[in-house]
Order: sequence, then C-alpha cells, then structure tokens
Amino acid sequence: MTSGDLFLQQLINGLNLGAMYSLLALGFTLVYGIMELINFSHFNVFMVGCFIALGVLKLMGMDGQAVILTGLPLIGVLLVTFLITMFSSGMIGVGIERLLLRPLRAVTGPAAMILTIGVSYILFNVILIGIGGDTRNFANPLPTVTWNIGGAVLRLRDVLIWGITVILMLGLTYFVQFTKLGKGMRATAQDPEAARMMGVEVDNVVGLSFFIGSALAGASGLIFGLYYNYAKVDMGFSAGLRAFTAAVLGGIGNVPGAMLGGVLIGLIEASSSQLIGQLWADVVIFSILVIVLVFRPAGLLGRQAPNKS
Amino acid sequence: MASAIITLINRPFAHWSQEKRQLWATVLLAAAFAIYPLLTDDDANIDTIANAMSYATLALGLNIVVGFAGLLDLGYAAFFAIGAYYYGIFTAYQVMPPWSEAWAPLAFLGLVEKINQGGPDLVHFTMSFWLALPTGALVAGFFGVLFGAPTLRLRGDYLAIVTLGFGEIVPILARNMESVTNGAAGLNGVKGPTLPAIKAIGFGGYSFGVDATPYYYVGMGLVALLIFSSIRLRDSRIGRAWMAIREDETAASAMGINLRNFKLLAFAIGASFSGFTGVFFVSKLQVATPEMFNFSVSSMLIVMVVLGGMGSVWGVVLGAGLLQLLQTWILPQTTNVLHDIGHAINSDMLVAADLVQWTQMFFGIIIVVMMLFRRDGLIPATRAQPKLEMEEQHADVKRGGFVNVDRIEKWNPGTGNALEIKDVTVRFGGLVALNKVNLTIPAGGVVAVIGPNGSGKSTLFNAITGLVTAEGSIKFEGMELIGLRPDEVLQKGVARTFQNIRLFPKLTVLENVLIGEHCRLKTLPFGAIFRPPSARAEEQGALRKALDIIGLFGNRLTPRANHTVSGLSYANRRRVEISRALASRPRILLLDEPTAGMNPNETLELAEQIAELNAMGLTILIIEHKLDVVTRLAQSVTVLDHGDVIAQGSADEVQRNEEVLTAYLGRAHRAKIEAQDAAAAKEKANG
Repeated sequence: MTSGDLFLQQLINGLNLGAMYSLLALGFTLVYGIMELINFSHFNVFMVGCFIALGVLKLMGMDGQAVILTGLPLIGVLLVTFLITMFSSGMIGVGIERLLLRPLRAVTGPAAMILTIGVSYILFNVILIGIGGDTRNFANPLPTVTWNIGGAVLRLRDVLIWGITVILMLGLTYFVQFTKLGKGMRATAQDPEAARMMGVEVDNVVGLSFFIGSALAGASGLIFGLYYNYAKVDMGFSAGLRAFTAAVLGGIGNVPGAMLGGVLIGLIEASSSQLIGQLWADVVIFSILVIVLVFRPAGLLGRQAPNKS
Repeated sequence: MASAIITLINRPFAHWSQEKRQLWATVLLAAAFAIYPLLTDDDANIDTIANAMSYATLALGLNIVVGFAGLLDLGYAAFFAIGAYYYGIFTAYQVMPPWSEAWAPLAFLGLVEKINQGGPDLVHFTMSFWLALPTGALVAGFFGVLFGAPTLRLRGDYLAIVTLGFGEIVPILARNMESVTNGAAGLNGVKGPTLPAIKAIGFGGYSFGVDATPYYYVGMGLVALLIFSSIRLRDSRIGRAWMAIREDETAASAMGINLRNFKLLAFAIGASFSGFTGVFFVSKLQVATPEMFNFSVSSMLIVMVVLGGMGSVWGVVLGAGLLQLLQTWILPQTTNVLHDIGHAINSDMLVAADLVQWTQMFFGIIIVVMMLFRRDGLIPATRAQPKLEMEEQHADVKRGGFVNVDRIEKWNPGTGNALEIKDVTVRFGGLVALNKVNLTIPAGGVVAVIGPNGSGKSTLFNAITGLVTAEGSIKFEGMELIGLRPDEVLQKGVARTFQNIRLFPKLTVLENVLIGEHCRLKTLPFGAIFRPPSARAEEQGALRKALDIIGLFGNRLTPRANHTVSGLSYANRRRVEISRALASRPRILLLDEPTAGMNPNETLELAEQIAELNAMGLTILIIEHKLDVVTRLAQSVTVLDHGDVIAQGSADEVQRNEEVLTAYLGRAHRAKIEAQDAAAAKEKANG
C-alpha cells in the first residue's frame, strides 16, 4: 500500500467511526440543548442498544457470520433490526427521563447529572449480570462485497453504514427544522419557560428529545456491531466519551455541530491510530476535548459560550 | 427511627454541651478502633478495615473538591494513581536505570542503592515510606494544579467530563509508558514500610511485612489526620471561601475571593490527600497496576461522597465505611443465606446466586435513590436550625438607625473625590449598555443613580466592580479599577450588593458575613489546619466583628445568626447582604436597589440606617427606584437612560428636568408636576 492508499483506507475507516460517533453525539447534544444536562446514561443506552440489536438478529436466526443474506431478505432483516433497536433504545431513554429525571427537573446543581451516572451503572450491570462480561460475536449477515480503490478497500458494509447515517441525519434535520414538534423543541432549547407560555408542551418535548437521542444511540450501537463484529458490556465508556468530545467539538447543543464533530473525531481517531499508534488514540482525543473546552468552549459551530452564569 | 435512637442515647448526657458530647463520641470511636485489632485474631477483618480506611481517606479528599468547593471531579482516582506510582517507581525492582557515579550522592543519602543482578551495575531506588508519604502528597498536589488549571474556567458539568477524561488518560499513560511503569503488568514487589532502629530506647526496628495490623494503625492515623484537617479547613477562611464558590461564583468573586487560587487550592489539597493515600495503598498491596485506578474507583468514591453527604466530613467517612461493609460483608453474607435457603427449598436459582457480582449494581441504585430522595446524604452537611423564641421572632419596625452602633469603627472619608468615572462605555455585542458615562462621587457623599429599567444602572455597578469589561477610566481614590478582577476591586475598598440578592443560600447568616471579611483575613491552609495563636486570634476577631455587624440590625438578624439564609425573609436577606458588604470594611458601598421588595415601614427603617452609615463616614453610591428614599438620602442624583447620562444634580433639580420627566417618570407625572408648578405660581401671584 502506498501512503496515498493508506490515507484513503483511514479515511474510509474514519468515516465509519465518524458515522457512529455522530449519531451518538446527537443524543448528548439534543438533551444538553434542551435541559443543559450531561447525560451519562447515554453511554450505556448505546451499549444496551448494541445488545438489543444482537438479540434481534439472533431471534431472526443470525448468529456469527454463518448466515449471509442478499437482496430483499437482507434489506428486510436490517430494516427490522434497526427499527426494533431504535424503538427499544428510545423507550429506555423515555423511561429514564420520565421515571428518574423528571422529579429532579426543578432541582438546581449537579444532582441530575450525578443521577445519570447511577443510571449508567445500573444499565451496565443489568447487561453484565444478565448476559455476562465476555465479548459476544455480533451477527453480520452482509455479503463480503468489496471494491478496490487503488490499494484501499471499500466494503459494502461501509457504504451501508454511511447510507443509514445520512438517512437518519436528514430525517432528524427535517424533523427539527420543518415540523411543529421540531419547532417546539428548538423553542424549548432557547427558553423553556417562554416556550411553555407559548403553548409548547415542554414535558413532551423533553421526553421526545430523550426518545430521539436514545434511538439514535441504539442505531449507533447497531453500527458499532456491524463495524466491529462484536458487542461487549464495557464498549459504552470509551465510545461515549469520544462522542461527547465530538458534541463539544461541534458546539454542544448544536445539531449540525454534533454531526460535524462526530465525523472529525472519527477521522482523528483513525489517523492518530495510523500515525502514532492505537495506544495513544485516546490520549489524543481527550487532549482535543480539553483544548477545545479551554480555548473555544462554544465549539466549532456553537455560538453561545457554555459558561454563562 | 434513627433520630429516636439518637435522642435515647443522648438523654443521660443532655446536660453536656454539644461540643463535649461530640468530643467524647469521637474519643470513644477512636478508642474502639484502636483496641479492635487486640480483640480479634482474624487478620482478614483487620485487612478489610484497613482497606476501608484507605477509601475513607480518598473520599475525604474528594469531599474537599466536590463537597466543599463544588467542583465535580470524576477523575479523582488519577491522583491516587500518581501517588501510588510515585512510591512504586521509587521502590520496586522493575525500574532500574544503569548505575553511574552520578547516583553516588543519592546512595549516600540512602535514597538509592547499587545492585547487581549479573550484568552491569543497576540503580535500585529505595525511598523510605515515611519520606514518600509527604512527598507523594506534594507530587499529586502538583498534578492537581496542573490538571486543574486549564479546566477552571469551565462550568461545573464540563469540569466533570474533562476530569473524567483526565482520569482515563492517567491509567492509559501508566499502561503505555513501559520504561517507567512496567506497562500493563504493573509494578510489583513494592517495599512495605519499615521503622528504623533507635538504639537509644532499645528499639530494634520493625518491618511491616504482610501482617495487616501495622497498616491498620497507619491507616487509622491517616484517617484521623485527614478528618482533623478537613474539619479545620471547613471551619476556616479557606473552607468558607470554597463553600462560597460552590454556592455562587459571581458573588464569591465580588466578595473578594480569588476564584482561580481557591479552586486550584481545592484541587491541590484534594489531590494531595489522594496522593498520600496512594502511597499508603501501594505499600500495603505491594503492587501497582493501571487497572487499580480506572473510572470504577473514581465512581465508587463519588458513591461514598453522595451516600454520606456532599460536604459532610463524618458523612463521607460513614459512606466509605458502609460501602466497604456492603462489599465485604453484607453481600457475601446475604449470598450465603440465599444459598442456604436455596438448598433448603431446592431452588437452583438461589443456590447459584452470587450477590457479590451485584456490587456495582448497588452502587448505581444507591446513587439514584440518594439523588431522588435524600440529596444531602445520610449525614447532611447543613446543621439543624435553632428554633426561635417568641420575642426573637417578633421584630418591631425600629426608627432612628442602627442598634449598638458604637461597636462599629467609624470611617474617615478623607477629602476630594472617592470615585471618578470618566467616559465609561460598556458594549454587549452591538448593544451599547453604557455610553461615555461620567460620574463623580465626593468622599463621604451619597450619590444616587436612577433611570428606567434597562437604562444601564446595574451595568454601571458591574463595570465598577469588574464583573463586565468596560472602556474608559474608573478611579477609586486615585487607583484605576478597570482591568481589575472583582475580588481585587473589593480588596481596594469597593463593596456592593446585588439587585437580585446574591447570598450563599446554604450557608448561615454568620458564615455569609464572615465571607465578607475574607479579603481582610490572612489565614492560609497551614494556619487553618494547625491554628497557631495568630490564626486563632484572627478567627476570633473576625467572628466578633461579624456578630457586631449583624447586631446593627438589632433582633432582626442576631437571633438568626446560625440560620441558613435561604430560610430568611426577603427583607432580612437584603440586610444580610448589606452586612456582608460592610464586613469587607469598604470605603465606598454600592447598593443596588436595597429597598426593593420591602414594605414602606421597612424601607424607611433601612433608609435611615443607610443615612447613618453615611453619617459615620462611609461613601455611598445607590441605585434606587423609590424617589422618597432618593430624596431623603442623596446629595446628588444621576439619571441614566439607554446608557446615557441625561441629567445630574440635586434630587429636586432632576425631578423637574424635562428629559427625565419624559424618559423616566412618564408624561402623567410630568403633567402633575407642571400643574403643581402652575398652582404654586398662581398662589405666588395671588399672594
């Protein structure tokens, strides 16, 4: 492989990672935008989503790489898996919001954020105790169709991941920009009290943002499974932290920012693994987080500084 | 239930003072822990308690950062790792650079030794445990400052995520930097502590080895030391500054607290507690691996602090003890019971159950339950509010100024101008909030600033006190204030109150006023912990002064000195805020709508008190909407409208100013004044 091919290959890998981080970052950004809450439970909603997808595929008879599908059956299986995973993850998010966070909505200080750390722990241990801590093989029904671009390899999997991500993002953008509920959401993010007085049902909006964010986390978990071909109970922590970094990099609370930040973090991860070694990728990403927060806390696309008093 | 038991236990000792009861309870508790190893021969129990003590020390350190200063640090285990690796590296056999004569001086000091394992000569570090304890604390403290510095500008929740990142990076570094840390395999064979032989008293030296008992006593000493330090810090100038930052950063800064220094101090002291514990923990386990310090340790410490009560010293110790009890006793024992039941009723599920696996699940449940139902923890840091007697509750509106005013030192206002504001402009983006404002306040005078809402009055105060950046010049007694931080402005003698009262809500009246004295006190951490006579005298003087200031308002505040301010009436909170400002011993006092929300009688009472302060020599700049207060107090009135000064002069003059009438008082009032004037003119003509 020439260095140009290597670059291209890392670009492909980076875009896959970026797709995953973007979807996950959207959940952080939606909830933060509306409630100014860093939702630590999001880390493990993502992980649980990956396990739900694994379970759904298993129920449909997919296990390991034994079953390869093509054509309509493949589309059908993927569609069903995505829909069930996203809906179930979304409902977990709604449950967390309605049962645990709503009573704390009026409480100032870090209580709600600390609570989400506890919820994250509970989700983690539900999977750890219920399913186990070992690495699970994630079923992959995709045929190994590849295209060679110079020395780099583009797989069907990559194209599929990008396609799904773009569809989800376009859908979200349409929803936020052009629907009545989306308008309510944007209004609530600006000023919940004013939105409430203008007739926006803030409780529904908050619940909805948790549903959408968590559903996207579920989709992200499924993409993780398709990309890495495994699921493991501790996968949420490092992916979540990277996605959060992505949300901050793009400007937290900002929907296009989360998408951009996710892709950038994916590319940075892929290229730093390539250039200075996998071992140091985390160090690079957390350094970016600190540098962005210190020098440009509003992120690349954000307008509002996060440390308003 | 719990309180009923406490009452029952307390009954025979009811005639003792609370301090005496607390002292004896502490002594008994310490004695019980001291004799416990003599009563049991089960080394495992002693070991478990010694581990619990390590966690208690860590939780105490985290409590300083999270509980006192309100800085949510999710990567606290990083400092634990730094202390542990510091001691590990300097005693283990994994890290041995080649020997050269340059090491000879250190060998002479006993810090290194030359060893030979059948190759070239190597250096083996042999740092003493007793030297590593304080130096490990210093090293961790240094990293605390290093990690803390870039994150201090961030809001609390961002700090959480950045510290989480730091907490993740440090174990990664420990894993990756193999030449220093031996990578993922970790350091093992870390030396246990030894006591050197002292011939004079016939002591032959002692090596700790694997027996848990000596570690138990060292751990107990560490816990005692850190509890003592925490309590001393909490009840000092330092602790009050941290709590002020936790409650309201802006107000803390305006009350003279250097935010940067005190946040870094919290980080450094918290980190050094952790480094201290790291040295101890590693000497006990005699290994250090990267896995010992990952996020699960940090989050377990958060659980301890949350369970016990953020900011509550005894609470976090209890939290650490309970969690250790849960992990090492309650869950294994319950598992055994489940197994017995399972065998009895032939339930395979119960026989296979292992609750120890559920430890972290319980951590999660504890956090959620505590946050939902008992956010202040098992032992809340806020103390019970003393009840008020009937006559203490009842406050008559008192006319004629302050009570016991002779206890307060008078001011010497000096001559000339106290405050000279020249061409001050403040912009928020495209909006000009103040436009080349000029204003002079003569020493010993009272100047009022009036103007419609949004005219820039509070922005003017914010510009003077350094809360917003301004162009132009603001000179206080000849010193330029623009460019200074709010705490520096207060230090110079300019104190303020806020329009929307910014007290420290969870602190008591007395604590709020003592925070006002912060900039006039000098105690540093060492003085706060060890309380030399000078620090003790300073603290007592500060307390007396604070009580004198609170006493100015008679029985309005004095009986409530130990009440948290969040429970006070609106008017009383205004009085506390004025007291807090006075406690900084200002030379000029900036009052932002001090009588807002007061009824007419209370307004009059406060107006007379402000007048009395002025009569005592204090220069005053006041924003006020109530014109009777303005006319009663101010020698000169400045009117702002849309950031411009539209009139200046005596109260009477500005009330008749055309522009003021249109901008501020409205046309109806203008018509009324004109009618009055016409009537007066007519009377004059007739008379």
